[in-house]
Amino acid sequence: MTITTIGTAVRLRAVSRIYGTGESAVTALDAVDVDIAPATFTAVMGPSGSGKSTLLHCAAGLDRPTGGEVSIDGVSLTGLSERALTKLRRARVGFVFQAFNLIPALSAEQNVALPLRLAGRRPAAGEVREMLAEVGLADRARHRPSELSGGQQQRVAIARALVTRPAVLFADEPTGALDTTASREVLRLLRTAVDRHAQTVVMVTHDPYAAAHADRVLLLADGRVADVLDHPAGAPEIAVRMARLEER
Amino acid sequence: MRLAWDMVRHRFAAFAGTFVAIALGVGVVAGSTTLWASSQPETPQRLSATPVLVHSPSVGDNDDGYPEYRSWTIAEAAALTGRLAALPGVTAAIPDPAFYVQRVVGGRPTGDPETALTEGHAWSSAALGGYRLSAGAAPARPGEVALAGPAPGSRIDVLTARGPATWTVTGTTDGPGFYVADATAAALSAGVRLIGLTVSGDAEAVAAAARSAVGTDGTVLSGAARDRLEPESVTRIRWLGAQLLIAMVALGSFVAIFVVASTCALSAAQRRREIGLLRAVGATPGQVIRMMYAETLVVAVLGGAVGVPLGALAAPLLAPPLVAAGLEPAGFAVTGQPAALAGSFALGIVVALAGVWTAARRSSRVPALDALRDAAVEHRAMTRPRWILGVLGIAAGAALLIALPTMSTDAQSSAMMGAAMLLLVGAALLAPVLIAPLVRLTTWPWRRGATGMLVREGTLTGARRVASTAAPVLLTVGFAVLLTGTVSTISQSAGADEAADVPAALVAAPDGVPGLSDAAVAGQPGDSYLSSHALVTVGGTTTRYGVAGTDGLTGVVLSRELADLPRRLDLRFPDGTTTTLPVTAVRDDAPEAILLPRDLVRRHDPGALTPAVLLDGPAGPATGLRVLTARAYVQIDIDEEGEIVQIFLAVLLALGVGYTGLAVANTLLMATAARREEFRALRLAGGGTSHVLRVTSGEALLAVATGTLLGGTVALFCLLAARRSIEEEIGQAIELVIPWGQNVAVALVCALVAVVAAGVPVLRARAGSR
Repeated sequence: MTITTIGTAVRLRAVSRIYGTGESAVTALDAVDVDIAPATFTAVMGPSGSGKSTLLHCAAGLDRPTGGEVSIDGVSLTGLSERALTKLRRARVGFVFQAFNLIPALSAEQNVALPLRLAGRRPAAGEVREMLAEVGLADRARHRPSELSGGQQQRVAIARALVTRPAVLFADEPTGALDTTASREVLRLLRTAVDRHAQTVVMVTHDPYAAAHADRVLLLADGRVADVLDHPAGAPEIAVRMARLEER
Repeated sequence: MRLAWDMVRHRFAAFAGTFVAIALGVGVVAGSTTLWASSQPETPQRLSATPVLVHSPSVGDNDDGYPEYRSWTIAEAAALTGRLAALPGVTAAIPDPAFYVQRVVGGRPTGDPETALTEGHAWSSAALGGYRLSAGAAPARPGEVALAGPAPGSRIDVLTARGPATWTVTGTTDGPGFYVADATAAALSAGVRLIGLTVSGDAEAVAAAARSAVGTDGTVLSGAARDRLEPESVTRIRWLGAQLLIAMVALGSFVAIFVVASTCALSAAQRRREIGLLRAVGATPGQVIRMMYAETLVVAVLGGAVGVPLGALAAPLLAPPLVAAGLEPAGFAVTGQPAALAGSFALGIVVALAGVWTAARRSSRVPALDALRDAAVEHRAMTRPRWILGVLGIAAGAALLIALPTMSTDAQSSAMMGAAMLLLVGAALLAPVLIAPLVRLTTWPWRRGATGMLVREGTLTGARRVASTAAPVLLTVGFAVLLTGTVSTISQSAGADEAADVPAALVAAPDGVPGLSDAAVAGQPGDSYLSSHALVTVGGTTTRYGVAGTDGLTGVVLSRELADLPRRLDLRFPDGTTTTLPVTAVRDDAPEAILLPRDLVRRHDPGALTPAVLLDGPAGPATGLRVLTARAYVQIDIDEEGEIVQIFLAVLLALGVGYTGLAVANTLLMATAARREEFRALRLAGGGTSHVLRVTSGEALLAVATGTLLGGTVALFCLLAARRSIEEEIGQAIELVIPWGQNVAVALVCALVAVVAAGVPVLRARAGSR
């Protein structure tokens, strides 16, 4: 990896996101400051409506904040055109969603190659296969999403998100629709990406077990960062902190 | 491009509507243009063996845009023939007089009356077609004839302008036509308009020599230019056919764009999530647009690949019906037209890309965040451009209708059509707004039942979906009401007008002949006139006027509209001679522009026939004559015209309804398939398949009813506005006739297609879930 990082992979400064106007305005994010260090695995948790998804969308450049500044890999997103933003996402950001991650018309291999092709680059020989092998699906390259299990689809999505070697990978409830075994496999893959390839990962989840794989857990409530938990000891500890948050 | 191909391959169902629309559109256009391009003027067969032809000079174009020719006088023709025969390389110069002759078999005239007018020829002109005697000898005396078929020595009954005759067959020819002795032909025909040159050596050199020899006394035609000698009757038939084919091409392309646009819009709405995902993983708006264009291109190429052979194969099959309907000349054959096929293929691609244009632009603006939304819920039924265009269309259409009475008569009909198109498109665009109140109104009686409630709420929340079903119905019903209403109203009032012009109760009319011979007219009690024509030159311009030869006249009588002509007229008759005659009177009720003494007309036009006799006593029997009431006589012309109009109507309506069916079926198939989840929920809530079917059918019918209502209303407004302006102009009330039966049939076909298309995915889903 040759991308130079200036201290943080993702930096949020006083980021606010307000939906609607006037009386019906809803503040989803309230002047949030967050720094995500490179080669770390960050989990974002919080009760529903706490703004955790909005945080992810704003941090990833999918949604534009109403105030504050977001930088990815040292590049400020403020004032970027839709086209420039798309190109930045393509080059420096990877996504894994809860469901519907793959284009149904394309095979696993084609889905993985999609970001490269959209960037106008012909995938190098074996590049895509290697990526698929890394997520353990080398033998499924020519299968369509409908021929893969939910867990396998999610693993293809991870391969696709990692194929461009992005500065940061955002995952929005990646295990939300999976059974325990498949969840474990997906989390293990994300962890491996951080440990072995120094990948930066930011994951939104409501599952303490999933969050336990992270280096750091951000707990959100009412659009603010309410608590930070570094190197959590395990799921029970996270669950306790979560419960405390919800009781307030 | 690779991506687009995979998309199309995977989701062919979503592209099926576009595919079928393009395939059919390209098929219609390829077939029509092949027919149109095959229908080229041709040198008449009986002149085909003559390399150089000299035609009498043109005196300018007539009102229809065709050149008007004068005949050479006998002396002129003889002098010119002599001059031409003396040219080096010319083996013979053969004048070609033509006259009316029709064979009578068993008392009945045979053959096509129109063609019979020029079936008689001089024997020497048989050489122009390369025809030879296969048996017997050439005709030499009056009453002798050579023709194909009967053996030499047999006798045949014929009818000429003079009356019935019995001719002796002296020879059998190997080509069509009646050939008589040259002197006999000259006596029967009205002047010579054509001289053929047979040549030895280079035809073009002879043609050049002939050109300088003829000067302004005629036009020399050689090679492909000889095609201009196509008889005017054939040119008119081909022109009529071309009108139909042009209308088919225009309508075919218009509705194809419409269907492609609505299909693409719907499928783009259904693919919002997928496009959001593409945007999230790094597709720029431009890449989304390019992908959708590429997808459509793939579908258009496939559609064209099916449509082009379809059209090419259908064209030859359509030739006989077109000939039978009088829209192409007898002997019309389809030839391969690669340029027409290539053009149709290209048109299909252009049409498809034009259709996908707005959908692609809208899709490109889908935010990446949409990949995360489940939503199939329609956000807004109306977009701002839709509002603007819809209101503009209605306003422009209404303005045109209001301005209608101030326009010239010629501009009015096209302005009315333009207004109708604007209003219909405007109504289609605004349909989502109009649907809500209409649905509330029509479903009010059923608001308590579960089905009623579901249909009502389903259509109200999915106004855009209902609008896409209603739009094609709206267009078709609108055009159907407009076209059938216009045609019926015009023919109704025209029939009444013309019947009023025929005073006598009974008419002796031609029966299987182009007109009555002198013998048939002689002795009939009542009024009649010989129908002919003359060229009148005033101040350098020559105009052709209809001439009626009547009894009891001494000079020239003009009809009222020619009252401005000078008091002494130079008349050039069909035989080429010019006479100056004094105008003696002006009459209001003249049957033709100029009235002349009957014997004068007969002398200068030996081929003149009598259109009919207005009887004031019992008619005597004669060959090729029947007695009709005045109304029935007038009705013949109206029916003939009406028949062609009906064919036009039927073809255009069938095309329109066919495409509507396609659009409606496609919209409903796609929309209902996408609502599978919703219907599964309905089933879980205790509804049976019959329940689901009731809901889909109810919605489909509601959409068709909305389209019918809106389309019918718009068309009715246009018709009423047109009536008002015409009434104002002619100062007479017109009865508006709308053939409700035909229009109800159109609406019913739409309804049937809609119900079936909405029901099929439901039944298929049930079969799949078992």
